[in-house]
Amino acid sequence: MARKTTYFAKNLAQKNGQATPVEVESLGNGLYAVTLDGHRYEVDSLVLPHGAVSMIVEDDSYNVDFDGKGDEVAVLVRGEVVRFDIADERRIRLRAAAATFQAEGKQTVSAPMPGKIVKVFVKVGDLVQEGQGLVVVEAMKMENELKAPKAGKVTEVHAKEGTAVENGAKLIVVE
Amino acid sequence: MAKIKKVLVANRGEIAVRVMRTCRELGLSTVAVFSEADRSALHTRYADQAVCVGPPPSRESYLVQDHILDAARRTGADAIHPGYGFLSENAGFVRACDKAGLTFIGPPASAMDAMGEKTRARANMVKAGVPVVPGTEAPFASVDEAKAFARKLGYPIMLKAAGGGGGKGMRRVEKEGDLESAWRAAKSEAMSAFGNDAVYLEKFLDEPHHVEIQIFGDSHGNVIHLNERECSAQRRNQKVVEETPSPIITSQLRAAMGEVAVRAAKSVGYVGAGTVEFLVDSSRNFYFLEMNTRLQVEHPVTEWVTGIDLVAWQLHVAQGGVLPFLEPISPRGHSIEVRVYAEDPSTNFMPSPGRIQYLRVPSGPFVRDDSGVYAGYTVPNFYDPMISKLSVWAPTRAEALARVRRALDEYVVKGITTNIRYLKHLVEHPLFQRGNYDTGFLGREHQRLLGEEHPELVKAALIAAAVHAHQLSEKQQAQVAGLSAGGTSGLSPWRTAGRRLTGWKRS
Repeated sequence: MARKTTYFAKNLAQKNGQATPVEVESLGNGLYAVTLDGHRYEVDSLVLPHGAVSMIVEDDSYNVDFDGKGDEVAVLVRGEVVRFDIADERRIRLRAAAATFQAEGKQTVSAPMPGKIVKVFVKVGDLVQEGQGLVVVEAMKMENELKAPKAGKVTEVHAKEGTAVENGAKLIVVE
Repeated sequence: MAKIKKVLVANRGEIAVRVMRTCRELGLSTVAVFSEADRSALHTRYADQAVCVGPPPSRESYLVQDHILDAARRTGADAIHPGYGFLSENAGFVRACDKAGLTFIGPPASAMDAMGEKTRARANMVKAGVPVVPGTEAPFASVDEAKAFARKLGYPIMLKAAGGGGGKGMRRVEKEGDLESAWRAAKSEAMSAFGNDAVYLEKFLDEPHHVEIQIFGDSHGNVIHLNERECSAQRRNQKVVEETPSPIITSQLRAAMGEVAVRAAKSVGYVGAGTVEFLVDSSRNFYFLEMNTRLQVEHPVTEWVTGIDLVAWQLHVAQGGVLPFLEPISPRGHSIEVRVYAEDPSTNFMPSPGRIQYLRVPSGPFVRDDSGVYAGYTVPNFYDPMISKLSVWAPTRAEALARVRRALDEYVVKGITTNIRYLKHLVEHPLFQRGNYDTGFLGREHQRLLGEEHPELVKAALIAAAVHAHQLSEKQQAQVAGLSAGGTSGLSPWRTAGRRLTGWKRS
């Protein structure tokens, strides 16, 4: 079992931010040695039911909660949330191999939440300006207008007025 | 008036639970109504009896009067509490209750007629000598009529739903070119929220404060006011944070506004809990905005500083009781309420319905959480995204601010995105701390309210994330190793799981 691993963590709040290497070594008994920016921290990390963690770092006590899936994790500590994309070297290699490229300039507008299509303003072939309203989705009593992410031509329209859509459903493609 | 024994609450979510809690304390039986999407909702589980009133859309369930009345008949309820929203300001429903011999816990239909429709309320207030914001006295038949009027009044203007409230069906319009799309959106939102798509317009006042007065009337002609609530922290005309006393109101202004609010309520024969909303401009002139003929979302802050259970008073006056006291009372200490929404502030407050994987609510001294959810509950996407109201009390505003920050730090919701961090940044904002924030505050400070990073916490979070990832991968490897060993280790997985807390399975 690998007892010492280097993780690469990217703070998702920082656009184009660099991944920070963090080395973690298991010392056993819930203790870990963490090396970050050349400094070695001894960390006592106790996992509690439901995934909450009590972490003591150099006598500082942190109550930590995690939420997320895959390599994206939201860390809740002392009332603040920091989101990371975090993976070890092996995962990063796997991800690089699986990465696909989007055709340049093609933008998909998808449903940001489950809801109902109230209005569709465009049809295939329409020329749209950036920021122009394309579709109105209603969820939780509020109507949300989805706008064109760029100027271009509408090449696909999957949204139909009056129909229900799932989270992430492809609605419009602008090229 | 007959004594109430069983109350049907014609609402859902936190307010239904809040009303039922008082009923239970008073020894009254409770009946919940629920839509097909709310079978697992907290209010359905909390009530003594529960009746399904139709499919998920509120138009087909919570807004269908016959279904609600049938549920009351079936369960033998003798009174209906409407909560807020839904049928709470529908005079037709009050009449239907009267006809069915049910006590409607709220004002008489005539007072609702006079105040419920915003345009009629404005006209009545003008008659009663109450100052109003310049605007129309009747809804428009067409967008062209609205356009012509807006041109005379001058932009910016506010489009509002005549039957509305809660920021639904309301749009600020900056210029004529935006009027048509705003008109369309306001009408369709108003239709789905209130079943009434009438829309009118008002002049938009610059940087006003939104201050409202809680009033209470009984059926013997007594009306008192229970002080103000400051509700200027609004986003898209939806209140986000409320407090009392208002940091900008002097005791003289409180008395003046209270007197006008009581006069407004008396002029329409008001009974029960009601709220008169005012806009206060920078010179501290106040204008009648509208009257909400129901219990407000933010009523807990008034309860904190008056010590009154407003729902208990509603039940008391609905049974013909006289108001327990008739003189205005001074607020004691300070209270702040923040509204917790299932929404993501960083993506333009997009609602984020879904399953709540884990929930830990704040507690400790002088903290109250009025919630309609629980761990494992799936927030449906058919209704308002508010999941809870957190309120605190302290002797002074400064202490109340510290307390609400502390309570927000304790609030943990996993599985769905909430605005909890946004709320914390809001109450920490220097302008909010100083107490001089108008209704444009949240819009102007949006970027800052999304939060700035604290380097020390980012470092702690980074260490935690790395150790967390390491622990997960160790656990996976241990599982793989355990599988390949084919169970020959002789230890049952249950026993190994119990050996160390770190062996607990993550949900």
